[in-house]
Amino acid sequence: MAFINLTNLTYKYPLTETPVLQNINLQINEGEFVAVVGPNGAGKSTLCYTLAGFVPHFFKGELTGSVEVAGASLLESTLDEWVLNVGLAFQNPFNQISGAKYSVFEEIAFGLENIGIPREEIKVRVEEAMVRTGIRELADRSPYSLSGGQQQRVALTSILVMKPKLLVLDEPTSQMDPIGTREVFGVIRKMAEEGMTVVLVEHKVEWIANFADRVVALKGGEILLEGKPNEVLTSELLSENGFGISRYTSAAREAQKRGLWKKKQLPVTLDEAVEGFKS
Amino acid sequence: MNPNRSFFVPVDSPLHRLNPLTKLTFVFAMILPAFLSVPELAPILAIPVFLAAFIGRVQKPYLNLLLKLILPTITFMFVMQSVFLPGGETILFMLGPFDVTQEAMRSAFFTVTRIFVMVSSFALLLLTTHPSELMSDLTQRGLPGQFAYVIISTLQILPQMQAKAQTIIAAQRSRGLDTESTFLKRAGSLVPLVSPLVFGSLAEVEERAIAIEARGFTSKKTKTSLHEISDTSFDKGLRWILVILILASVALRIWLS
Repeated sequence: MAFINLTNLTYKYPLTETPVLQNINLQINEGEFVAVVGPNGAGKSTLCYTLAGFVPHFFKGELTGSVEVAGASLLESTLDEWVLNVGLAFQNPFNQISGAKYSVFEEIAFGLENIGIPREEIKVRVEEAMVRTGIRELADRSPYSLSGGQQQRVALTSILVMKPKLLVLDEPTSQMDPIGTREVFGVIRKMAEEGMTVVLVEHKVEWIANFADRVVALKGGEILLEGKPNEVLTSELLSENGFGISRYTSAAREAQKRGLWKKKQLPVTLDEAVEGFKS
Repeated sequence: MNPNRSFFVPVDSPLHRLNPLTKLTFVFAMILPAFLSVPELAPILAIPVFLAAFIGRVQKPYLNLLLKLILPTITFMFVMQSVFLPGGETILFMLGPFDVTQEAMRSAFFTVTRIFVMVSSFALLLLTTHPSELMSDLTQRGLPGQFAYVIISTLQILPQMQAKAQTIIAAQRSRGLDTESTFLKRAGSLVPLVSPLVFGSLAEVEERAIAIEARGFTSKKTKTSLHEISDTSFDKGLRWILVILILASVALRIWLS
């Protein structure tokens, strides 16, 4: 039995006719790091909201099929129970700052206070989480005085500190520089290795190739392709359907047509491209 | 205001060490008698508030606040009331076409001292109590978490709204919106700011709701608090004394009438 089980999942937002997600069947194992890619409007964010319980409990609308995470069924659970297992961080960091706290330390502690963790344990866990995501030195700053990238790290840390079994991330590094992105991906990878299941929506395909175990390509609310990062991300189907493609993949594909790329497998990252062109 | 968006002055003083509820009780022990008891009590109550500012070692920011915020307001109120309050008989002097009577001045004086006691004692509370401490103490005493959240997030989010309005104004100006000519034109140019600000904020509220919900905000478990807020027997005793003072002041009014 997989950790996440989506069976024939179809969902319509209230007052709309076309389903945003159509007949999704997906199984994800515990500790797996799955990346979701797709053009705008593919249903990526809706998929995130569904895994995190906000579809249908917050957005209402019409959901058919079944969603199971950690043995619990979404339709039979309430949102406040569901969020104990599933953490969600999304794109806009500014709106994820609670607005009820005056320092980053307090901000990260907010979720733990809400679920009734004792004071001493909160302090230890917040400290640990901040060290992990490299924001220890921001502890006493006001969350509103931070840059976008720093706020994103705070938002991610606020979720990590709650130790969810499933971590759902919707473009969590959109405002970070490359160094910040690498660090954050490293942290997420490590969490997955320690047993946390991760579902990540991300446009930066080169990072996905380096860090994810599996890639799901969504298009028009349906799963177009699913499999190992390098196979999915270099598939012809993706470039035909308007997905973001790594420039190294495009370059190597052109080179392949002219007989300059000898390998069968196309590259996604710079390293793979260098390796391939050398041989 | 400092970058943390609160009036709080982080120094150590006997007043800072008091429990937030004790200070809140003090505020009400000033306000309620000032409004409910005999009017002559209000000017006297200004004295303990003033002294408390020194005990709390916040006299400088307190006086600053008095001069810049409270004094201009109450001076204006005093003048308006002295001039326009009807029903006086003893005319002291004329101010243009208006009579200034002794009765009106007396009544104006008591009104502004009441306002003064109210605003300055609240200011004292905010200067010596960190807002998150006040809220977590009240939440632990049974104030609903949602209520505390609304108050504290409003304090935090207002400056953000202002910043956003500035951004929208800049964006509209770069597209040729007139913000510098006659008053009427400028008033008209506020219209295109309203909908992006209001609808934008509504969309943000939804996202923020999701974000805090994802962090267990509506969890049915009993909330804990990061801050340990001391509540000594001195605090408890002081609160009882203050409550007795409130009752006594009201009784005085009833007894004298």
